[in-house]
Amino acid sequence: MLLSMKETILVVGGGIAGMETAVQLKALGLTPVIVEKNSSLGGHVAQWNRLFPDMTPASKVLEPYDEALKEVDIYTDTEIASINSLQKEYAAVLSNGKTLRCKAVVFATGFKLFEAEKKEEYGYGIYDRVITNRDLERWFDTRSDERVPAKPAAIGFVHCVGSRDVKAGNSQCSKVCCITAIKQAIEMKELFPDTEIYCFYMDLRLFGKKYEDFYINAQRDYGIHFIRGRVSEVAETIDGRVQVKAEDTLSGKPVKVKLDLLVLMSGIVCDRANNELARSVSLPLDEDGFFRSLDNIAGVTRTDRKGLFLAGTCSGPKTVPETLAEARSAALQVYQYLKAKKK
Amino acid sequence: MIDRLANGFDPFVIPFMVGMIFVLAYCGIGILVILFQLSREDRRRFLLSLVKPATAWKNIKDIFLNCLIHVKLWKRNRVLGFMHSSIAFGWFMIIVLGHLEVWLFVPERIRLLYYPIFFNFFVAETETTLQGAVFFFLMDFFLLLILVGIALAMIKRIRSRFFGMRRTTRASLLDTIGLYSLWSIFPLRLICESFTAHISGGSFLTVPMNHFFRWFFGNELNYLPTWWAYSIALGIFMLVLPFTRYMHIPAEMMLIPMRNAGLKVRHPRRGFARIQVLSCPGCGVCIDACPMSVRKENLKDCTVYLNRQIRHHNERRITEISEKCLMCGKCSEVCQVGVDGPLMRLKQRELKKYSINQHYRNIRPDSFPVEGTGKVLYFAGCMTHLTPSIRKATMSLLSKAGIEARMMDPDGGLCCGRPMLMAGRQEQARELIRLNTAIIRASGCDTLLLTCPICYRIFKENYKLDGIRVVHHSVYFNELIQSGLLKVSKDESRTLVYHDPCELGRGCGIYEEPREALLAAGNLVEAHQNHAESICCGGSLGSLSLNYEKRREITLNAFENLTAEQPDAVVTACPLCLNTFSHYADRPVEDLAVVLDKASES
Amino acid sequence: MDFGFSLSPSSAIELDTLDSALYRKLCRIEPGARTCIACGSCSATCTAAEHSGMSVRKLLLGLQRGRKAEVERMLSNCMLCGKCTMVCPRGINTRRVILTVCRLYDNVEGTL
Repeated sequence: MLLSMKETILVVGGGIAGMETAVQLKALGLTPVIVEKNSSLGGHVAQWNRLFPDMTPASKVLEPYDEALKEVDIYTDTEIASINSLQKEYAAVLSNGKTLRCKAVVFATGFKLFEAEKKEEYGYGIYDRVITNRDLERWFDTRSDERVPAKPAAIGFVHCVGSRDVKAGNSQCSKVCCITAIKQAIEMKELFPDTEIYCFYMDLRLFGKKYEDFYINAQRDYGIHFIRGRVSEVAETIDGRVQVKAEDTLSGKPVKVKLDLLVLMSGIVCDRANNELARSVSLPLDEDGFFRSLDNIAGVTRTDRKGLFLAGTCSGPKTVPETLAEARSAALQVYQYLKAKKK
Repeated sequence: MIDRLANGFDPFVIPFMVGMIFVLAYCGIGILVILFQLSREDRRRFLLSLVKPATAWKNIKDIFLNCLIHVKLWKRNRVLGFMHSSIAFGWFMIIVLGHLEVWLFVPERIRLLYYPIFFNFFVAETETTLQGAVFFFLMDFFLLLILVGIALAMIKRIRSRFFGMRRTTRASLLDTIGLYSLWSIFPLRLICESFTAHISGGSFLTVPMNHFFRWFFGNELNYLPTWWAYSIALGIFMLVLPFTRYMHIPAEMMLIPMRNAGLKVRHPRRGFARIQVLSCPGCGVCIDACPMSVRKENLKDCTVYLNRQIRHHNERRITEISEKCLMCGKCSEVCQVGVDGPLMRLKQRELKKYSINQHYRNIRPDSFPVEGTGKVLYFAGCMTHLTPSIRKATMSLLSKAGIEARMMDPDGGLCCGRPMLMAGRQEQARELIRLNTAIIRASGCDTLLLTCPICYRIFKENYKLDGIRVVHHSVYFNELIQSGLLKVSKDESRTLVYHDPCELGRGCGIYEEPREALLAAGNLVEAHQNHAESICCGGSLGSLSLNYEKRREITLNAFENLTAEQPDAVVTACPLCLNTFSHYADRPVEDLAVVLDKASES
Repeated sequence: MDFGFSLSPSSAIELDTLDSALYRKLCRIEPGARTCIACGSCSATCTAAEHSGMSVRKLLLGLQRGRKAEVERMLSNCMLCGKCTMVCPRGINTRRVILTVCRLYDNVEGTL
């Protein structure tokens, strides 16, 4: 039986984690309010074309939320100016001047895609033929990007750009880049069957359901070349292509290849813009800059502060299904927290 | 003025004489040992320079200005300058005037070493003369000057921040003994001269004190013990002097003529290096200057401690300190004595023996043919291959200026040799120099353009490329802008700060050209510490042992220094600085070429 | 440079008998050496790679697998330029690794 509670719950962030949390909170009889800094909801998923491993269109994942969030208060183009902890609740001051009193706060602030220009040796923003995974997804949507040639003879994918890299300030694995690279490689091969496609990886981490099958497809059905070696240098050739240098660590030989397009798999990194917010409510951050969960086994969505919860990638890299599952879990945690308080 | 004692002697002078004879003997033997340690050529050069009038005059001038007046210190810190020069110059004048007095009034005693020091004990004033009054006045005046200096020194010990120094060295036991004996010498001199002022005469300080003492004590029993104390203080100071930092007083007088003769450190312990180590006054200016000092664990790795460890023969620490150093050169830039810390470390590195010694016999220069005919040859170097923005902007600027240029290493070349040189492996560096020289000569170029200051420095200092102009891109592009070949439009809304790379600034003395060029593209602000005092980015190849993690704070500190004026972007002229800063930067970091390329018309 | 991991029985690496004293000493001096993930960035960017097959990755592996002779050969052309240090995603002080191996190669017990 549901508790009859009309308590307001603040959900910070309107990506899939925030939206799903709000939907579930609503279903549990609570009153969620979403505050989103961008002008529309959907976060990173809204910028993606199709999702692994079933090539599900991203729009299809987002579609149901229009209906489900109809009765939820949503503030877009709004940031949290500050959150103050009161005796039994929190008061959030929004950038639009409003103050929200709420019983609990769920942080669903998400991640940032690594800024690929920071790895200067890969030439993003310097060479005309270097794009990121997000740029490619936009291109799948719009088919307009000057950097993507009409008939590429060879395309390369660089895994782990800004992930597992202490020099980039991110030693964590981004979890989703390996499978995203395979997905995008397959999509490109479908569009350009005669194109040679190379994936440069350090380790292939294909842990999720159906991921390995996807990998087998890429190898067997699409003939994508997997080269175990991290790209270390990219140079521009006279004809405007890019030449990539790596070591094929399996044969122990250096490899060089000229490409018409190089796609950098920018990783999931923490959003430093949240640091101030976290500090205002004394929420600890992990060494990697993500929010620190109560523990990493049973308390992933909880924090060591009462009434503050986490959902999705604000606590570390996650896939879409993991994020959704966590959002539901966070909603339940909020519900149980309020129920315990009521007693 | 007459001799008061018939034999001109009193036992209290013995402590002083013991100390004095010890110091003179020690220094005399030391000079012989060091001369012996010099190479034949260096020794000849040094001895010849002493008799050459021009260098002899320069030696005297430099010793006077540096050892006595402390001109360099004045420029850096007036209070410290005053403190040091008042003690050094005051003491010097007291000694000189003491000798003059002896020479004028009791010339028969001039041969006695102690006589000018204890002049006031041995003489009696028979009649008041103007000449005597002037001497007494000067003696009192310089004594007062020294006492003010000593008072400042005491304040400095208690609160070094008062003097603008954040950190200072920790004194060893012997240093402390030396310090206290030095401090006590002059107050004791004042007291004993005051006690005898009614016999030997005195001036504005000693006479009133004499009246006071006689009124207070009512007898003259106290004056001999104070002369004893004065002599003992002098004796102790001179006995410990060779084993304390005060050895810098005689050593620096040797260092200056040796440096003026053009001598350089050839071995990290012997000859010139020995004099350099002994000349270190342990003032600790290099501690604040050292970029590594932001980490507490590195505080004892700066030059003053290297010198101390060399004096203590602590081999393990000497090696450790030598390998850690970033070789940015800031310590020698700020050093008042001119100790070349990086060179000492380099020579230490050269002593190291390796089981595997690199060679490049298998590499042939003709496997790096340079195509084309352009007279300007651009060598990107290893680092620039990892910072493609520099390479691209450089080529773009060259073509905008209509200059026919070629790349020496479009697909990677050989290393310039500077990293090997900095690791103390001269043999390997020489071989790389030989190979690159052959490649450059074969290209037929007349200008060698470099975007990396590390390369630039070795090409400038160690390559023999007569007839070929070696130029850094900051200088070259500035010339093109000033001559009108490159049209750059100024963005008034953008403020830039220029970071002086160590190798370009302190290393090669290039400070103004990059700024001039940047002024054409935007507004310029200065970093808190800039030009010769700029702070190393922390990425330097100079350090052999510092790892990435431990360089982090160095970089953050250097970046904070750069952004003191809140510029929109940080501009540098070195690929390694660019790479290092961009790991932690909160605003754009760009190479000078990139800034100019964006601001120029095609 | 062929690194020849051939399958003939005599070339099998006997992990329990091989001599890894140099590797252990190296790791004491530069603990970062243990964190190599064999990504090959250092080898690909190396200025000396095409001359002597230099590769810090292979060097570290070689020391752990008792292949000292290959290590010596590849080190012979290293120019200490520091590119490998710049690209290493684990921030290993590769120049220190190289200098340490060069120094201790014949005398593992030697001091630094």
